[in-house]
Amino acid sequence: MKQFVAVLKNGLSLENPLTVLMIGLCSTLAVSAKFEGSLFMGIAVIFVLVMSNVLISAVRKFTPDEVRIPIFIVIIAAFVTIVDLVLKGYFPSVYSFLGVWIPLIVVNCIVLGRAEAFAYHNGVMLSIADGIGMGLGYTLIIAGLGAFRELFGSGSLVFLGNTLVSFGPAYRGPNILLLFPGAFLLFGFIVAGSRALNRRLTARKEAM
Amino acid sequence: MHVVTQLALLLIGAALVNNILLTRFIALCSFFGISDNMHTAIGMSLAVIFVMMLASTATWIAYYGMLVPLGVGEFLYIPAFILVIAALVQFVEMYLRKYSPALYRAMGIYLPLITTNCAVLAAATEAVKPGFFKMNMAYGFTLGENLIYTLGVAVGYGFALLCFTALRERLDIAPVPNVLKGTPMAFIAAALLSIGYIGLGSLFGL
Repeated sequence: MKQFVAVLKNGLSLENPLTVLMIGLCSTLAVSAKFEGSLFMGIAVIFVLVMSNVLISAVRKFTPDEVRIPIFIVIIAAFVTIVDLVLKGYFPSVYSFLGVWIPLIVVNCIVLGRAEAFAYHNGVMLSIADGIGMGLGYTLIIAGLGAFRELFGSGSLVFLGNTLVSFGPAYRGPNILLLFPGAFLLFGFIVAGSRALNRRLTARKEAM
Repeated sequence: MHVVTQLALLLIGAALVNNILLTRFIALCSFFGISDNMHTAIGMSLAVIFVMMLASTATWIAYYGMLVPLGVGEFLYIPAFILVIAALVQFVEMYLRKYSPALYRAMGIYLPLITTNCAVLAAATEAVKPGFFKMNMAYGFTLGENLIYTLGVAVGYGFALLCFTALRERLDIAPVPNVLKGTPMAFIAAALLSIGYIGLGSLFGL
């Protein structure tokens, strides 16, 4: 149990896929223009990550080493197809916003990377923890970025048609936040911030 | 619209206006991963152009020749495309190693990386499915349009990658605040470069 929590925590801070490992960047920057879309993207990635981790870890003893990558990709592609069809059926507006990013979860380095680096070598329970931790670490950054960009860029936060927060019609946000350079710029500062934070965390760990 | 004009617009639209790296954020991993060295950036760009053209022709044929007639295009396209791309890259690698060692030395190490390069899958998917590609043209390209479109995407990728690599080489010797050194600064530089691409946004009213 202790190990479960430790693995889970790792994904959130010290091994955060986005800010530390720097993988899975493309989707983060692209879909974070809107809070709603980025939250759904995060949930989709958590689902695919956990399910594919479980399945890959469960079949790892019968998986021949030479063909493991194609096997991983097919397993991941199956779960991505599930997400693709579910979103298309139940959340058509989100689906049209995310567009090509849903099929691109297949080649999202986070999912394949965790399959190769973690699920292939660890048991099912730990792989679930790793999937949740990594997925949450991804979702946290992407949804945070999405909320910030939408709120300060357009002045209001909309979720499935309901306005959550609004600065009123007089607010004129910096337009650049909604455009693509804003994503690069903000993410650069997020990386710098999380690097400073991690440096402090590691220093504290060493001091103990 | 005249056919040639339309194809030219498709090419420019794919290469500059909807640049795959800087305005649509596809394939950023490789963008930041290999842009610290001009030599590798050139190798990667050429490899991407080559593989992308091959891959999207193969997936187009697989989609319209096999998946659609069998009625499974809707829910099998993701696994089918990724398998076609992975297998194709593997074959190209084997072929080059056997018959063209010089080309293999130049491109070889980038080939496996390209399998997981989102740009290839994205271009293949967009040729047959509605995606991010925002131009007022119908989806479902013909094979010829598909080739022109993919060429545009791949050349746009190479051009943006080389621009950014040149920028980063200058950035290495620039005085940068300590906390921003390395990747954070690279992101900020990418932001400035992509502001430049906004200017291309209204080109020809595309």
